[in-house]
Amino acid sequence: MKKNYGTIYSLPLSVWLAFFFIGPTLIIFLYSFLKKSPFGGVERSFSLDAFAFLFNPTVLQIAWMTLYISIAVAVITLFLALPTAYFMAKSRYKDSLLLFIIIPFWVNFLIRIYAWIAILGNNGFINNFLIQTGLVSDNFQFLYNPYAVVLITVYTYLPYAILPLYSTIEKFDFGLLEASKDLGATHFQGLKKIFIPGIKSGIYTAFLFTFIPALGSYAVPQLVGGTSSMMLGNVIAREIIITRNFPLASAISLILSLLTIIGILVFMKKNENEKKAVK
Amino acid sequence: MSGTSVEIQGLSKSFDNHQVLKNLSFDIRSGEFFSILGPSGCGKTTLLRIIGGFEEEDSGVVLLDNVDMKNYPANKRKTNTIFQSYALFPHLTVYENIAFPLKIKKMTKPLIKNEVEKYLNMVKLSGYEKKYPKELSGGQKQRVAIARALINQPGILLLDEPLSALDAKLRQHMLVELDSIHDQTGITFIYITHDQHEALSVSDRVAVMNEGKILQIGTPSEIYESPKDAFVADFIGETNFIEGIVQEKGGKFAKLYSETLKTMIEFDMDQSVEIGDKVKLTIRPEKIRVKRENPQKTSSQHFNILKGKVDEIIYHGFQSKFFIDINGFILKAFKPHLSYFEESERIGWKEEVYFWWDADDSFLVEVSK
Amino acid sequence: MKEKKKISFVFFIFTLLFFYLPLLVLVIYSFNEGKTMKWTGFSFHWYEELFTRSKELWNAFENSIIIALLSSLASTVIGTLGAIGIYWYRFRHKKLIQTVSYLPLMLPDIIIGISLLIFFAGIGLNLSLTTIFIAHTTFNIPYVLFILIARLQEFDYSVIEASYDLGAKEKDTLLKIILPIIKPGIIAGFLMAMTLSLDDFVITFFVSGPGSSTLPLHIFSMIRFGVSPVINALAVILIAATAFLALLSKNMQKYIYQS
Repeated sequence: MKKNYGTIYSLPLSVWLAFFFIGPTLIIFLYSFLKKSPFGGVERSFSLDAFAFLFNPTVLQIAWMTLYISIAVAVITLFLALPTAYFMAKSRYKDSLLLFIIIPFWVNFLIRIYAWIAILGNNGFINNFLIQTGLVSDNFQFLYNPYAVVLITVYTYLPYAILPLYSTIEKFDFGLLEASKDLGATHFQGLKKIFIPGIKSGIYTAFLFTFIPALGSYAVPQLVGGTSSMMLGNVIAREIIITRNFPLASAISLILSLLTIIGILVFMKKNENEKKAVK
Repeated sequence: MSGTSVEIQGLSKSFDNHQVLKNLSFDIRSGEFFSILGPSGCGKTTLLRIIGGFEEEDSGVVLLDNVDMKNYPANKRKTNTIFQSYALFPHLTVYENIAFPLKIKKMTKPLIKNEVEKYLNMVKLSGYEKKYPKELSGGQKQRVAIARALINQPGILLLDEPLSALDAKLRQHMLVELDSIHDQTGITFIYITHDQHEALSVSDRVAVMNEGKILQIGTPSEIYESPKDAFVADFIGETNFIEGIVQEKGGKFAKLYSETLKTMIEFDMDQSVEIGDKVKLTIRPEKIRVKRENPQKTSSQHFNILKGKVDEIIYHGFQSKFFIDINGFILKAFKPHLSYFEESERIGWKEEVYFWWDADDSFLVEVSK
Repeated sequence: MKEKKKISFVFFIFTLLFFYLPLLVLVIYSFNEGKTMKWTGFSFHWYEELFTRSKELWNAFENSIIIALLSSLASTVIGTLGAIGIYWYRFRHKKLIQTVSYLPLMLPDIIIGISLLIFFAGIGLNLSLTTIFIAHTTFNIPYVLFILIARLQEFDYSVIEASYDLGAKEKDTLLKIILPIIKPGIIAGFLMAMTLSLDDFVITFFVSGPGSSTLPLHIFSMIRFGVSPVINALAVILIAATAFLALLSKNMQKYIYQS
């Protein structure tokens, strides 16, 4: 008797997702195997042109750049987030500190990018300052390179890493660290052998929460990347909006989705192993 | 109010190919305090949930007051349930929780108020109307759950391990109160528990369940004093088992030879056995008496007298538990402390003792040809 | 122990400065008289510009609010019912529906954006506020679902059974028991959806058409034209609004979770 109600309750959900999520996703899948129409759409004939184009050196180079930037972002974010989260979790004023971290997170995403343009841009705050103090005579180009993309992506995603780390560290039993010291371990050994393994799931989550969105970056490289640091997201957008090569955009999206899903599966597997190890 | 009778016929239920209830049939009389006792996983909760209409049986019939409940969902049955977790509505006050069934029935406000007050009084919670469940102690939540279940005037109250979340003292107290509510209302109580003391102390009848089957139904004393099954004997209280082959029989009594005890044991034939049958006896430890001296057996009495060595003594307040070693076989005997200094010299560890029991006090729990 | 704390304290301060200094620069320069990032004098000029001569920006803002309200409402209704169904009932394909529901949460925004764009083009739906509404509802649903299932996990199913047991039918159980119990989750889900919808740029970028700009889209087009002191002023207003809402919701939380 309960069975029917479950279906009824989840009917709007199923219908909505079928139409506006599964449908579009399947279309991308389909389009990536079709031929590009000269008028911007697709022709109904099977073709692997789009996938063949993926092996074009330019695309490969951009794919490499995407991976490079995403890994750099995830690693730097983690490096900053871990001690920050540690301090917050051990503080007496946890709740207030948490609010301090969350507020910039809530400020509009584009405003956060814009702030850096205002500071680092060719006519930005720093250049003005340097020229006024006479340190340099001409504008220095800080933006439009991969480093700027990494810096600003780290800025936008840092809270994504701090929050999961904070919540795992907060649950960590610090008695274990004391026990390890009691058993003769140095502080550093304790951290390495007890604390880091103990918060592994938080570290994985933090990495994933920055790495995955970084892979799909569009706005940051578009605004501060320049041509030297195009990422796959920019290629997809270009193929959709300018070149109108739907099959190629679909094929790249498909590859990006697969990378994401593989990343998540690896993460879930790791996490499961962790849980088993704990038991 | 008057109680509803229950009739269960051929009830079976499986979850994922695991049979939880195996062809159960039994009756519960109107107004009875009926306990279903068994270890966790024996199927007792599933049985209760089927009677309450929360779970559908695979086959079999549930009759309440002789009406087949096949197409009656939980909200149409004359049953109300006390859930193990109390299941109080967290967003409603005590008053609103108890009034809920009446509001559903669209009763008028003054009538509801009148009824709620009556039941609040019954469970001794007057003055708590405005409290929320999270502000109550375990025992108080329990009382709210009872009042809420009773206000609908059900024919049957289903209680699913209602006391398991309470501490030992409170449990005893609530049990007495449940018993008095049962007497006041006169409705049928079906009480699920894995705690034999709860089941034995208040029930009119107890059904002992294991692995989806009901092994024995009887009054508490029947269940305890004459278990029909090795599981029942073992699950309820403590007991000893003696196995052997029947050697001779005559009149009411028979004798078996036990390989482990290396002796003949006389027992009361509560079911017929033949010479050569393999049988299992159960004998309660408190029925076995222990003494240093050999008691003299009179010819008219049927006693088993054995000799063994005390392996362990556990002091237990009002009694001591003796573990007696007979050729490596350990037998339990409980000796109440009628007077602590009763014996000039108390029996000690490793001492040789005599122990004996009346052949009437053992029960046959298994017979195989 | 103390040394370790010092190191983490340094990192924490660094992170805070990293977060707030860029925002502080925006705040200061929003009061700059000149048009560039070169300080020339104090003025409210750009605020005046923002409030009196930025009609397009306020149109975009209005669109953002409308879309946020409608898509949050839709996703909260769909997500709440879905969570109840998925968490408390047994039915066919339940596991599948749950897994698929979480997928939009994991895929990069750009993929959701372009797949919807191609889909809308395929079915011949013109890009407009309607398509933005559909896109926002779609990406908000998994968040609402996630929050509500977390809320439902705090309650055992026997509360629902007790309701049936005491005579209530499905409708009464839903309205008088289930929804009131998960009300804090519903509010939290709605607020989350509002926040995400107001903030979204990437997905909206692909599914918006001519005349259907939202605030983030408008900001994007302004940024592309370079540094503008109007954005500085807008940023200050948004930062202040965010901080205010954050503080409010922190105090609200206490209230919401108490009921």
